[in-house]
Amino acid sequence: MLQFFTNHFLNTLTLGQWVVLALVPPAIIALYLLKLRRQPLQVPSTYLWSRAIEDLHVNSLWQRLRQSLLLLLQLLLIAMLIFTLVRPGWKGTELVGNRLIFMIDTSASMNATDVQPTRLDSAKKQAVALVEQMKAGDVAMVISFSNLAKVEQTFTDNRRLLRQKVELIAPTSRSSDLSEALRAASGLANPGQTGDPNNPNDIQTAEAQPATMYLLTDGGFASVPNFRLGNLEAEYVKVSSATPRNVGIVAFSTDANPENPGQIQVFARVENFGVETEKAVATLYVNDVELDSQNVEVAGRDKENQLPGAAGVKFELESIENGVLRLELEIKDDLPLDNKAFTVVNLPLPAKVLFITPGNDALELALATDEAIKMAVIVTKPPKYLEEKAYLDAAVDSSYDLIIYDQCAPKTMPNCNTLFIGRLPPGDEWKAAPKSFPTIVRDVNQLHPLSQLLAMENVKILEATPLTGPPGSTPLMEAYVGQGDDTKFSSVYMVGPRAGYEDAVLGFEIVGADEKGDVFSNADWQLRRSFPVFALNAIKYLGGVRTGLAMPSVKPGAPAILRSLTAVKQITVRSPRNEQFVVEREAQNQFVFTRTDDLGVYDVREGSGEKVSQKVAVNVFDPRETNLEPRDKIEIGEEIKAQTAKQVSRKELWRWLLLGAIALLIFEWYVYNRRVYL
Amino acid sequence: MSTVPEITLLNPQLLAQLERLELMSRKIFRGRMKGERRSKRKGQSVEFADFRNYVPGDDLRFIDWNLYARMDRLFLKLFLEEEDLHVYVLIDASTSMEFGDPTKLQYAKQLAAALGYIGLTRADRVKIESLGTSHRNPGPILRGRASVWRMIEHLNSIQPGENISLADGVKNFCIRNQSKGILILITDLMDKTGYERALKLLVAQQMDFYLLHVLSPEEINPEIKGDLRLVDAEDSDIAEVTVSRPLLDRYKRTLAAFVDGAKDYCTRRGMNYLMTSTDTPVDKLVGTYLRKRGLVR
Repeated sequence: MLQFFTNHFLNTLTLGQWVVLALVPPAIIALYLLKLRRQPLQVPSTYLWSRAIEDLHVNSLWQRLRQSLLLLLQLLLIAMLIFTLVRPGWKGTELVGNRLIFMIDTSASMNATDVQPTRLDSAKKQAVALVEQMKAGDVAMVISFSNLAKVEQTFTDNRRLLRQKVELIAPTSRSSDLSEALRAASGLANPGQTGDPNNPNDIQTAEAQPATMYLLTDGGFASVPNFRLGNLEAEYVKVSSATPRNVGIVAFSTDANPENPGQIQVFARVENFGVETEKAVATLYVNDVELDSQNVEVAGRDKENQLPGAAGVKFELESIENGVLRLELEIKDDLPLDNKAFTVVNLPLPAKVLFITPGNDALELALATDEAIKMAVIVTKPPKYLEEKAYLDAAVDSSYDLIIYDQCAPKTMPNCNTLFIGRLPPGDEWKAAPKSFPTIVRDVNQLHPLSQLLAMENVKILEATPLTGPPGSTPLMEAYVGQGDDTKFSSVYMVGPRAGYEDAVLGFEIVGADEKGDVFSNADWQLRRSFPVFALNAIKYLGGVRTGLAMPSVKPGAPAILRSLTAVKQITVRSPRNEQFVVEREAQNQFVFTRTDDLGVYDVREGSGEKVSQKVAVNVFDPRETNLEPRDKIEIGEEIKAQTAKQVSRKELWRWLLLGAIALLIFEWYVYNRRVYL
Repeated sequence: MSTVPEITLLNPQLLAQLERLELMSRKIFRGRMKGERRSKRKGQSVEFADFRNYVPGDDLRFIDWNLYARMDRLFLKLFLEEEDLHVYVLIDASTSMEFGDPTKLQYAKQLAAALGYIGLTRADRVKIESLGTSHRNPGPILRGRASVWRMIEHLNSIQPGENISLADGVKNFCIRNQSKGILILITDLMDKTGYERALKLLVAQQMDFYLLHVLSPEEINPEIKGDLRLVDAEDSDIAEVTVSRPLLDRYKRTLAAFVDGAKDYCTRRGMNYLMTSTDTPVDKLVGTYLRKRGLVR
């Protein structure tokens, strides 16, 4: 019985106030009795009056009640007000623990509108309702999480503050990752678990405090199987509708058309996480100009293996030097965020190439073509430059994208891509057989960018060295080297990996020098059309020049690594919301931009320049966020079932009672004025 | 006896109007004395009524000699007799009649005076009594214009407070007055025992009966409100009411039903019923309503 009262009522008055309140009903009755003294009035005859009220007297008790209608209404009013003062209500979810942690998911999928107005708003509402249920003395903490966790409010018993902080939580477009938020939450419950001083989210407490953690999320995150909840008790409050529908773009990029080198292809992958088959119109915009549209029909989610239906969208267009490509899906679904995707094609970044040669007119000429100049800044130095400090510094701090060693080799490998002509890189990874004569090229790897479009049939080469590269090397050009029985079929042009860089080695000199120092031609390649192609391929591929190709998209919240075209100390990045951020240069000519919270295209300006030098696209591209399907359970060490069936808020009755009391008061006033009798 | 009540009972304008009026009876009654009314009785007026065979002993003066010459038989000429009309006015003088402005009793007296005056001017036999009149002290029998002052004097002597039930009063009257004529009962019918028994007695009397139901405006349209203890003026009965609009509506419905009931009761039994309010001027009532009803002409 007592339990019933403590569950359903909250006392708001002191004993003295109760005593005063208890005096009110008797006072009303007394006043009413005083008021009831009727005035005598002599009439000719009560004959007609008696007859008029005759039937009213039939049930005298009822009659008395009716005569006391005002009294009854007043007593009812007071009863209602008194009842209001004990804050009647009933509880939904029992708030068991004294310490509560509200973890609110703010990832991209929480923007879905399948729960009105959005999932996040609904989660916030439920969190506020839970805050309202807190008993006196309970403390709570609010954490919002996407792929990173943010402690919005540390433990407090200030309900207003908690409510305010919950209301302030804003949606993001990020992906979800629960582990960081869990670490923050568990820091209090299980202080032994996180003693790591390097953990910035470590919030220390003196002793273990068992806490109840309310996870207000749609469950769209990877399970965290290796987490020990310990003193934490997790409650999963599912925020989603039963059958959300969502079609989203999960990939969008461009690539060179292998069949037609002048064209690029734009690919997008569209997935449907709903149950029904959906139709949409995909429209491609280039620099906000509509270019092409396609109808896309995406099948619904597979009922057996639960895999989403997918469809590809492909556009072909003429190669563009730079610009913003935007793909829009015209469909009304529950998550509009992923119906739009951006990709940017930046101006090719000129490669910085160091060309070290004792003298090679042919190659110098090949590197001086218009195309090559557009793509690269080439510095030519003699081999003695290798001894200079300038070179050594440049080799260490990656000042060049590519160093071409013609007839020479450094003592140590530089921190960049290299092309060796007629020499082997230092170290013993690369091996070469003795030089042989003649060399007949049999096969050229047309698939590799370094050797594609090379026609070697009409090229005569005198001496060459059969090459053996480090593991993972790719042969680019294979030739018969030698005569008679000594003839070997081996690679004479290879590319091999080296700790993040690539080294290409050409096994023959184009121009060589004999013992006397006389210069001779080792091949007639320089006379052929394929020679400048070879040089251009080398600059393009090893110099890292990519034309007409989209920059890889950045996920919201993930850092974007930017390189400046010119040597500047800082760059300015403008977000799609027109916010400006200044990014300072870090080591290795890199700029790390982290404020990628908004979807869309970010403009990058270098130094104080006005010109947009490059752009970065930020897209969701996360099937986990696009997948709005409600998860009935989540896994944090153990399986936690969704709790949406439970009522999550204390249902307060006092507002209704107060409204009823006001209505009663109005009715009473009406009765009093109109002398209503039933 | 002051003259003030006289003036209030009858004023010159009313008298002038009344001079021209005459009480009418739908029935023909026998009178008691020579008068101006045609009687059932055959007699000695100038108006021929009928012939009848001569029987010995008849007055020879009325034999129609012309007829005898033609038919050789004796016939007697009969003439209509003109006699007086008996007019009774019965006033309810119970305490309940003492309400209103003017009081219902005052109004009843005015009405009785007016009707009595009409009767007196037409040489009718007028008798005005109150319900509580005892047989030891009956009202005077009035004839002729000269008796107007006696009539008014008698009317003024009627005082309220004769709380006798309607039935008893009527019974008392009927026992004492057996002769036929016009009977006008002026009452408010406020009798808790009901009016039916009284009216039934009057039906048996076979008179030309008029019931003038007098109510005050306060009764027709009461303007009271609040929590009241209503005290009956006659028997001090108490009715506790909280007067509200619905209750007033209910009262009016009850009153309407009561009036309709009385009217219906009278009409079924060949009686005339007229409900009047004390704010209806007597001259208008007599000159218009009663003329329409055929009581006066």
